[in-house]
Amino acid sequence: MDARRLARRLVALLVALLATTSPLGRARADEIPRRTTGLALTPAQLVVSVGLQDLFGPEDRDRLTSGFVTRVLIRVALQEEGSSDPVALAFQRAEIVYDIWDERFRIRLTRGAGPELRVEARTPDEAIARAATLWEVPVADAARLRPGATYVVAFRGDLNPISEELMTDVRRWLVQPARGQRRVGTGDTFFGSFVSIFVNPRLEDSERQLRFLSQRFDVRQVRVMKEKR
Amino acid sequence: MRGGGAKTVRAWLIVGTALAAGLAPPARAQAPAPAAPLPSAGGAAAPATPPTPELPPTEVDALDDDAATAAPAPEFVDPAFGPRYVIEEIVVRGNRRTKEALIRAELGLTTGDAVLASDARVEAARFRLLSLGHFVDVRLSVQRGHRRGGVVLVVEVEERGALVINELYPSTSAATAFWGGADVSDTNFLGRGINLGAGVVASTKPIVLNAERGLGLRLHGTVPERPRGFGLSATALYNDGSEFYRLSGNDDDADPGRFTSVNTRRAGGVVGANRTLTHALRAGLDLRGESVDARLPPQRARTFPDGSTAPIDFDVRDGASRVATAAVTLDYDTRSDPVLPRSGVRVVGTVELAVPGVSSYTYAKGLVQASLYAKMPRGHALGIHLLGGAIVGDAPYFDRFFIGDLNLLLPRRALGMNFSTLPSRNLLDTSIAGHRYDDYAARALVEYAIPVWRRKGLVYGGDLFAAVGLLGMASDGDLSPPGGLTWSKLPIDLTGDLGLRLDTYVGIFTISIANALSRSSF
Repeated sequence: MDARRLARRLVALLVALLATTSPLGRARADEIPRRTTGLALTPAQLVVSVGLQDLFGPEDRDRLTSGFVTRVLIRVALQEEGSSDPVALAFQRAEIVYDIWDERFRIRLTRGAGPELRVEARTPDEAIARAATLWEVPVADAARLRPGATYVVAFRGDLNPISEELMTDVRRWLVQPARGQRRVGTGDTFFGSFVSIFVNPRLEDSERQLRFLSQRFDVRQVRVMKEKR
Repeated sequence: MRGGGAKTVRAWLIVGTALAAGLAPPARAQAPAPAAPLPSAGGAAAPATPPTPELPPTEVDALDDDAATAAPAPEFVDPAFGPRYVIEEIVVRGNRRTKEALIRAELGLTTGDAVLASDARVEAARFRLLSLGHFVDVRLSVQRGHRRGGVVLVVEVEERGALVINELYPSTSAATAFWGGADVSDTNFLGRGINLGAGVVASTKPIVLNAERGLGLRLHGTVPERPRGFGLSATALYNDGSEFYRLSGNDDDADPGRFTSVNTRRAGGVVGANRTLTHALRAGLDLRGESVDARLPPQRARTFPDGSTAPIDFDVRDGASRVATAAVTLDYDTRSDPVLPRSGVRVVGTVELAVPGVSSYTYAKGLVQASLYAKMPRGHALGIHLLGGAIVGDAPYFDRFFIGDLNLLLPRRALGMNFSTLPSRNLLDTSIAGHRYDDYAARALVEYAIPVWRRKGLVYGGDLFAAVGLLGMASDGDLSPPGGLTWSKLPIDLTGDLGLRLDTYVGIFTISIANALSRSSF
């Protein structure tokens, strides 16, 4: 049958197409860049230091003076190379707000369940540096690290992460007819009605993301710090 | 989802607009930035307590499988950070087409309101404006007001092109050498957020007895729902074309020479109102009226292969008639994403009733469509799509369930007009080939989607998908045939699709087997 022959040819074409596209997915893991990261061992913990100031683009920097809060969330995961399960997790939250009367930036920092820290900055660059820099952030108990094993630290920074509640609302707004330009046909083409979205603001869970990995390391090569007093 | 092939054209038409809108390239990590010690008390101070490794990692998406992404995203819990403002004035900038009143209405903030610098309403207002679809970007900021604490709220919008090509209809079949057209909308008509569009489809003269060239026109508009208000919609239609009825031959014989035509002219429209009832539930009411003028062919009996004959039921009144109906729709939607859902449910139910005394056709039509989505390991998704419908009474053929609308592997109607004589594929060797228009319809589809990639840029992602399902159509008597219901008399068939679904900046595109088959149906 002609239709069946046509279907067979289309299947072959599709398989060829997928064979071309699927490596994109496999190659993706290799796209995560490496960034030299400061690593040190205190008597109790592995601590990391690295800058994520490039999470802010020029426009984001300009918008710091909007008068509304800019949020930065940095998530850190220690993992053993070859394993996808993190050994330990940590995060740092920062909020920056520009006081339009005092003309200075106020920053609030919190790490994990630790106490919050409030500081001020006079310039956008200083505010960004304070909010988007990890400085000796504890990531894991030193006792959990196996000498001889190869580790890597994965970082993800999010600028203005969107709350799950707001994300749900946005999706709802997009679904409504005449908002995201979706419409369900009535009557004649009800079965055939299909999604028609021109404006398709892909819902990321933050305005900008930055992801990278540290260099590979063995705990025996990590610098040992003296305990702070 | 069908229509992807044609949308490829749409992509190229609109890509220019997207580029002109200033799409930024994907953010790339820059050269290693050394950790700079902070001069003041700040970051050098280690937290008093260690981080919280006991927090469970969230599910790892196959395409976001780095461990940092797996870490939980903690909420910014204290909303009280930053100064408190009282809005003295609101200034809107950048709106060349869009009416300021529309923006202010969606903003949800007015003069005199007090907001915190970290107020969730500010972010929500921004996204609400973005979701209108009229803007590339929206930014809110404050400037000093007349007194300390008082501010001018500045809303800056960057508008985008509002012309949308909803659908293109280029197709061909054995009966009709070509039919094509488009449905286009201005999504921000007069800058008031009104979606006004028009569709046209035209065909060459089908090579079917008595058939004439087809022409279908639609003019449609929607006024979006406002807070505490209704959404309104209206559609005007004009169809002038032929529907095909078998005169002779076996049910699976698609030869156009074995068909005759009814030429029908329809003119009318639908007006409707809808409202959001709860977070997930919407309701709508539609009133429809049409004037129908049908010219039946002189050949009004079908000759079967054994030589017997039977009158053809054309399902439309010869000459002038009217259709008048009222329809109620309920739409329950909890999907995680309107584009590529990974979880949630959507159920849409419609009941349409002919208005007695006004409509020449007395009937009731009910239709329920349900889609259920479930997350699978490695970011895969399982979707189950169910459909059931029934008509009681003497509905005109264009309101009855049509096999092409049900079977993914056949051409569906374009603006309500059919241009093909192709029967269902009959992959199960049943009686389905004899069913084109029926009163009862059901379909169950199972779809499995595998994300192939996700990234920033014009193409956000691609899902490989495979769908397979069973469909059935019947009218009164089909399920109790003479001699009993055997497998070969069951009006059921397999349907399905296999392909790649692309989620792009300009819409969804599907490269699939069903899409190709439905557009070149021989």
